[in-house]
Amino acid sequence: MLKEIKKEFKKNLFDYLLFLTACIVFIIALTIFQGERTIEFAIVAAFIAFYISWGIYHHIIDNTLRLKVVLEYVLIGFTTLFLLKILIIP
Amino acid sequence: MKKLLSILKHLFTPHKSNRHRSKLIHHDMLTSYLLFAIILTFGVYHVQQTNGSILGFATDISNAKLLDLTNKERAKSNLPELKYNLKLEEAAMKKAQNMFAQNYWSHYGPNGETPWQFVLQSGYQYEYAGENLAKNFLFSDGVVAAWMNSPTHRENILRKEYTDVGFAVLNGVLNGEETTLVVQMFAKPLYGSISGSPTQSSNTNNINKENESGEAVLNTKNANENKNNFYSVFVNINVIFFIILICALILDFYLASKLNLIHLKGKNIIHIIFLATLSAAIYFIIKGTIV
Repeated sequence: MLKEIKKEFKKNLFDYLLFLTACIVFIIALTIFQGERTIEFAIVAAFIAFYISWGIYHHIIDNTLRLKVVLEYVLIGFTTLFLLKILIIP
Repeated sequence: MKKLLSILKHLFTPHKSNRHRSKLIHHDMLTSYLLFAIILTFGVYHVQQTNGSILGFATDISNAKLLDLTNKERAKSNLPELKYNLKLEEAAMKKAQNMFAQNYWSHYGPNGETPWQFVLQSGYQYEYAGENLAKNFLFSDGVVAAWMNSPTHRENILRKEYTDVGFAVLNGVLNGEETTLVVQMFAKPLYGSISGSPTQSSNTNNINKENESGEAVLNTKNANENKNNFYSVFVNINVIFFIILICALILDFYLASKLNLIHLKGKNIIHIIFLATLSAAIYFIIKGTIV
């Protein structure tokens, strides 16, 4: 499996680095604005929007963009958004 | 047993029965997760609107738990436990109300209000007094842990001069945002003063509040305790849901690459990184801030 992950990372190094950077920025932003509910929710929403955008961008480059693929990112993204919303703004 | 294994195989691994894609990450399953999350979100909102006393947005914070945790920290440093004082609770409540009314988040108000004036107004004549503040935490242990991680708040909790403590947990709107404030007031009564009473011993899994005449009037273990379970259970469900999804994605990625299955699908690695990051984010989300 590690071999496959390495292969995948090598093939799309820029895309994965971009996403990992966004993850780090997301966590740092959350620690900075800890306790500010509205800002926390905006940060989470922005990260989820980035994740969906990343999916669309990556599959365009990969020439594998289909509605089914976009739907997968949208469904996962929005499910997590609603679940975390309950925790952020109880 | 065989049946259970085949169900797990169907749910977690790419197989003929699930068209070579883990069932848990099929579009129909992902759609049902989203529907469930939407129903839950609006369900919680509806319950709060119709019966705020069941959930409220105070979350999982109660005076009894705060007192228990504070005294546990003091016990670790071999300090005597603090007694729960209703006058200090009143002072803490007045302070929280004042912060909402004057729209500030600080030990000192915009019109020169000090923590000490609330203590004195409650009728408590103090020799020493102190105050800790917290906002937007989801759990009592998070509040006390954050205070213990801050040198100044820690100093307050572990100050040997203090004998009494009172808490207030109050919801309101601060700077246009629904906020849960926690105020902790410490004090030691002025020598010879009787104003420190009434107090309660901290054996507080079940604090009975008393009025001046000592008559039990309210149980502090109150509605908060009933609210509490919801959020702790919900956090656990969230984390378990993310872990199950991550497991299904890992197994799907591993077996699909091992069997050279070609699918038109999203990138499992990115879904895994995304879900793992959000799981880590929960740790920060349930924490608030202190001042």
